[in-house]
Amino acid sequence: MTSRLEVAIRKQLDGFTLDVEWSAGDGVAALFGPSGAGKTLTLQCLAGLVRPDAGRIVLGDDVLFDAAAGIDVAPQRRRVGYVFQGYALFPHLTVRGNVGFGLRGRARAGRRRREEEVLARLGLEPYAERYPRELSGGQRQRVALGRALATDPALLLLDEPLSALDLPLRQALRDELGAILADWGIAAVLVTHDLTEAYRLGDRIVVYEEGRVIQAAPRAELLWRPSSRSVARIMGIRNVMQGVTLKATADRIQFRWRGQVLEAVNSPSRSYLPAPDSPLAFYIRPEYVRLLRKDRAGLDGVHHMNLMSGTVVREVDLGTSWTLFLRLDEPGPPAQGEYDLELEVPRLVYEILEIDRDRHWQFSLHRGAIHVLPSA
Amino acid sequence: MSATALNALVGIPIAYLLARRRFWGRNLVDLLVTLPLILPPTVVGYYLIVLLGRRGVLGAPLYRATGFTVAFTWYAAVIAATVMALPLLVRTARAAIETVDRDLERAAFTLGRSELRTALEVTLPLARNGILAGLVLSFARALGEFGATLMLAGNIPGRTTTVPLSIYTAMQTGEDAEALVLVAVLTALSCVVLIASNRLVARPA
Repeated sequence: MTSRLEVAIRKQLDGFTLDVEWSAGDGVAALFGPSGAGKTLTLQCLAGLVRPDAGRIVLGDDVLFDAAAGIDVAPQRRRVGYVFQGYALFPHLTVRGNVGFGLRGRARAGRRRREEEVLARLGLEPYAERYPRELSGGQRQRVALGRALATDPALLLLDEPLSALDLPLRQALRDELGAILADWGIAAVLVTHDLTEAYRLGDRIVVYEEGRVIQAAPRAELLWRPSSRSVARIMGIRNVMQGVTLKATADRIQFRWRGQVLEAVNSPSRSYLPAPDSPLAFYIRPEYVRLLRKDRAGLDGVHHMNLMSGTVVREVDLGTSWTLFLRLDEPGPPAQGEYDLELEVPRLVYEILEIDRDRHWQFSLHRGAIHVLPSA
Repeated sequence: MSATALNALVGIPIAYLLARRRFWGRNLVDLLVTLPLILPPTVVGYYLIVLLGRRGVLGAPLYRATGFTVAFTWYAAVIAATVMALPLLVRTARAAIETVDRDLERAAFTLGRSELRTALEVTLPLARNGILAGLVLSFARALGEFGATLMLAGNIPGRTTTVPLSIYTAMQTGEDAEALVLVAVLTALSCVVLIASNRLVARPA
């Protein structure tokens, strides 16, 4: 991957410091993290609307900002398109006026041609003479994209483009946005606090927390192998816990947790080899905990890995599935407050096993379902 | 009318700068522009004489250079009215400019507009109603200006007499009927102006 965009910036504000470094190639980089983590501030630095205190921003062959060299290209000359949160369409201009706003300075005929081209490509021709307040949320999104794309920017910045919409529309427009970005083939940086959005739209995901980048990785790697405990927490991964290492090899890690000896697969791409007796963090996806049927116990003769037993202490009906909170049959305080493990079972399984009647269960975990996280 | 035009020329840029820029002396400018609203008009008039009179800080050099002095001329009436009406315009216009979404201006920047072009094409058009309301109010204030005008421009019939000054003169000389007519006209005009300005402020841009 050739890196198209290189960002290394520092900006000190009242009670907040942004200090980030990441790079991205062609395609979409999603800046993901909770509100107030510095994602929008990063976009504003990229666009030249906010001047960093130190650092360097390089886009392709152009240095946009370099504090050491005294370079700070004005936002007007950065060739960066910006889609603002809430879109920031000019309310006093028509759709055509908005889309053509960045084309001033071109010859009238050329400007007109480009307007038509952009309007047609985004399916906006029927609305060309309407004002923003007369448009639906989806149409507004397209106008905002059209306005930013009309000038052929080298990079497109999108700040929470879907946050102004309610849920059903949001999903539809997320897919539409993805299709438009793919169609125009433009390099983009997208800010979002929604993991699904980051995952659907981003080729690369940069995870922000409190003004820092805690992981930047291609999306598949991030979701399945978050690099640290904080990444797992920010991504809303449940059952993040801590154990004590027994033995670590290139392909297996054994550790002790709540009186059990558990075995997990070590990541083949970047093996993590903690010393014996050192603490390690791991997580278990709730949907990968396997309840053992009592009527078949001992019958199937399968060797169950990471076998444990416990009691359901709480449950939540999620409609198509149930979330169960299990407490192990072990003395001592449970790992997560009143329970040790959260697991999720499909509704059908819940009904067949009659979990509402029977609260004590044996369960197992395949070693591939336990993900060890390098502590951070 | 001249006072209103001068007001627009001076007041709108001041309102924009106060709303959008953080510059050294910003609070001082804010204070100076607002003072005429609070001070007795005669005090403002006094300061204007100190500043622009024949022996004033600015007036003296001007008189030496050109033999012309502002005091007791038609210009004096215009300047006095402008200064007195400026706070109303600046305050109203500034509030209107501050309500314009900054992201709209940022969008204009990323689309290649300079700050001046952005102000002319985006900010001011969107603050238009508030600015118009401010102009209407300041027009009414300028029309009704009495104290500062009397101080700087005097009350020379046909040259520096404003409507309130005429009313004063009419009362003093016992021409009650003429005073009544002028009072009625000024009251009616003020009502119209207030209604117009309220409507402008209430209307979305």
